[in-house]
Amino acid sequence: MGSSAPQQLRPVEMTERPETPRTDVKLTLPARPENVAVVRHVLGAFAESMRLPDELIEDLRLAVTEACTNVVRHAYPDGDPGAVEISIEPREERVRIVVADSGRGIGTSTDTSGPGLGLPLIAAIADAVDLQSAPDGGSRVAMTFRRRDPGRAA
Amino acid sequence: MTSGPADNDAPTTVSIAAGPLVGPILRRVVGMLAARADLPLDRLDDAVLVAGLIAARAPAHVLHGTVDVAFEPGPRTLSLRVGPLRPGGGDALVVDAAVPGVGNVIEQLADELRVSPEGEREYLLVRLEYAGAS
Repeated sequence: MGSSAPQQLRPVEMTERPETPRTDVKLTLPARPENVAVVRHVLGAFAESMRLPDELIEDLRLAVTEACTNVVRHAYPDGDPGAVEISIEPREERVRIVVADSGRGIGTSTDTSGPGLGLPLIAAIADAVDLQSAPDGGSRVAMTFRRRDPGRAA
Repeated sequence: MTSGPADNDAPTTVSIAAGPLVGPILRRVVGMLAARADLPLDRLDDAVLVAGLIAARAPAHVLHGTVDVAFEPGPRTLSLRVGPLRPGGGDALVVDAAVPGVGNVIEQLADELRVSPEGEREYLLVRLEYAGAS
């Protein structure tokens, strides 16, 4: 996937034990540029339903857009788009979003001249990031965002 | 308008836990895909209305606590495959979508509506298209 080397990230350790997996929304789409807009709309509907604060909504949209764009640009060969899978797991204290693909995994991309901004940007926006590359191909970016009360600084 | 899906594209599916997120998310996805399929505005509205009805009624008939929908967009057509549903759930979902004084909205709006049994489960297939297509 992405053009950024994983070691450039500063992973944020999860401080909580993983909760029982419960995905409220799972969306699977062909990894095509126009489908990034579908993901953004779904996030908008999710955020409105959950009454998330505007600042958090923008953070979610930006980070997930970057993750999906990475998949579209780097995960699959040109003209052969595989799937991008977005899982949304809302909790009382946080929202976890996982963007996964079954493409060529994380590594230096051959179609860019250097590291991109996508993954560092995600790391800067999200409260925790977990980046994994599956041994048999594919990558998985799990982003966790703390839910903040509207009108209160995080 | 963006290019349509290629035959070798990965499938488009959504799975939503039965609850308050089903309606908002399903309507949004259907609206986007209907627009992508180049359905005219009146049929896009129809598609979103059908999505809203499915979202409202399907949770009572699903098998595993999630409303699962697979989409097949085409040129001026959009097909939805809703399920797995419990046995009898497909017909029950359609019957539940009847509106007093209006009748069955899904039946009236869909160009194709059928229940597809598969073993101990079944799926509701709904297709909307633009009559002026072709």
